[in-house]
Amino acid sequence: MRIDYSIDHPVRLEVNFEVEGFTILLGQSGEGKTTLLRAIAGLLPAQGEPFGGLLPQHRAVGYLPQGYALFPHLRAWENVAFGLPRGRQRRAQALELLARVQLVDVAEHYPSALSGGQQQRVALARALARKPQLLLLDEPSSALDAATRDEVMAELISEMHEFGLPALAVSHDPHLAALADRVAVMSGRSIVQQGTPAEVLARPASAAVARLLGHRNLFTARVAGQKISGITLLRWEAVNGTTLRLPQQSGLAAGQLVQWMIAPTAVRLPSLESDQHHMDNPVSGRVESRLNLGAHFQVALRCGTERLWLSAPSNLVRHHGLETGREITVDLHSDGLLCWPHQG
Amino acid sequence: MSALVDVQAADGLPRSRTPALVGALTLLLIAGPFIALASATHWSNFHFAPGDMGSIAVSLGYSLISLMLIVAFGTPLAWWLARHSFRGKWVLEAIILLALLTPPLAMGILLTTLYGPYGPLGSLLTQTGVELTNSAPAFVLAQFYGALPYYVVAARAAFEGVPRELEHIALTLGKSPWQTFWLVSMPLARLGLAAGIALAWVRAVGEFGIVLILAYYPQGIPVKLWVNLQDIGLSAVYPLLWVFFLVAMPLPLILGLASRRQRLF
Repeated sequence: MRIDYSIDHPVRLEVNFEVEGFTILLGQSGEGKTTLLRAIAGLLPAQGEPFGGLLPQHRAVGYLPQGYALFPHLRAWENVAFGLPRGRQRRAQALELLARVQLVDVAEHYPSALSGGQQQRVALARALARKPQLLLLDEPSSALDAATRDEVMAELISEMHEFGLPALAVSHDPHLAALADRVAVMSGRSIVQQGTPAEVLARPASAAVARLLGHRNLFTARVAGQKISGITLLRWEAVNGTTLRLPQQSGLAAGQLVQWMIAPTAVRLPSLESDQHHMDNPVSGRVESRLNLGAHFQVALRCGTERLWLSAPSNLVRHHGLETGREITVDLHSDGLLCWPHQG
Repeated sequence: MSALVDVQAADGLPRSRTPALVGALTLLLIAGPFIALASATHWSNFHFAPGDMGSIAVSLGYSLISLMLIVAFGTPLAWWLARHSFRGKWVLEAIILLALLTPPLAMGILLTTLYGPYGPLGSLLTQTGVELTNSAPAFVLAQFYGALPYYVVAARAAFEGVPRELEHIALTLGKSPWQTFWLVSMPLARLGLAAGIALAWVRAVGEFGIVLILAYYPQGIPVKLWVNLQDIGLSAVYPLLWVFFLVAMPLPLILGLASRRQRLF
């Protein structure tokens, strides 16, 4: 489903993107993401398709606002039944919908007695009751606690797949991007990139997008030159003028300021076999801190005035004895380096 | 000092005793006149003056009619004030404030000026056979004016307390604005509306100043108390006052308890 909307007030906004399965629209707070959802739901004046010009009560959308907005004076099943036509089947249909989100047990409870995740699923069942063509979710992960967030979201997404409904979720949480079928990124009040999570996460279109996607290793450097052999050289001034080699970048002139990025997994520790000595871009640093994530470690290296994160298997980290304060030379894999002309 | 802090509040935390002591004193001040009434009443010779029963019927019956009119006219206005913002809204607020501010006696005079037999509206109505002075409709009109602004202020606050988002959600669930009002706004505002109705009842049933000017007849309890005092004396005031409390108290008491989610027993 194609979303094509323009809004004048309260923020000026023009967006055009594709919703497919569970789609995440990522953007910082204040970009107008909630405004866009409310416009699609018909709750504020806007022009666009789908549903353009219809009153909110005539739009086939299911809107789940932040905090879910369950009716506090109605029980869980009455909330779900709210949008159902009057009749003897009403309660049975509501209970059936609650069963599909595994919540029949709490049908008689008031919203105040439900957990955040349960409220979200009641809100989902309530939205589904009116047979929408599109689901709109505002920051679906914000009211969930960190410990169960991924699980609850994965369940929510699989439920939506089951219902076969396209859903548009807006969020500033890059974590959600990996769970989605499709990602669109909003920056400067317009869509700057869209695609599958794998595409977008691997190749952010700009440093701003990379930052929104939660990438941490973002730095600035200056173009040192282009080699005929198809290699671009960067001079990383913050780290003693270290030279970085990466596959040829077109449209960059020598001396130009660039932003570049490397995924923590592309920052490699020397391998266990000591005979392999070739390194694309050796960089030395001192271990500043490390996070134990079970099978993996996240290690922060202090390189010059910058902090470089690397992610490596636990056995490798132990092999190199990466305690705080330890000096190590790591390799920035050429293929993992991304770079863009500097903006702002 | 320890005696002043060694109190457990409802939440189980130790609290200072000072507010409770001051509160008790305030309550005693409020209760004072009624304690005096209880001791001044000649219980052994408790009897009503002629016409007292009629005044009870007038007060109860017409106050109920006024209350219904107040809710019917006041609710849409309160809703509109709560949900719409526009330039110059302060003018409307000032008008309501004006109605609250006007001394009842002055309001009675203003109403007589407008609705009296020589007033612009009154003379028109007289031609259709409706007398708006010293008549049942005049009595209802006086109570209506006395209590309406209080109800509007309370009901507006009640509607403002309903999250707009819930009304919006009701729309996205396919309900019309009218259905949304009845299914979401009214139920969620009900406690505040109940408090507003209780307040309006208290104002209407006890209204004296406006009634005295516009509708001396038919005599309701407040005017009859005045008449009894003038014609007979204090001894004729107390029994009627007891009955007044008896008939006027239940509605606001029950609504007040309901609005604080308490039970009588």
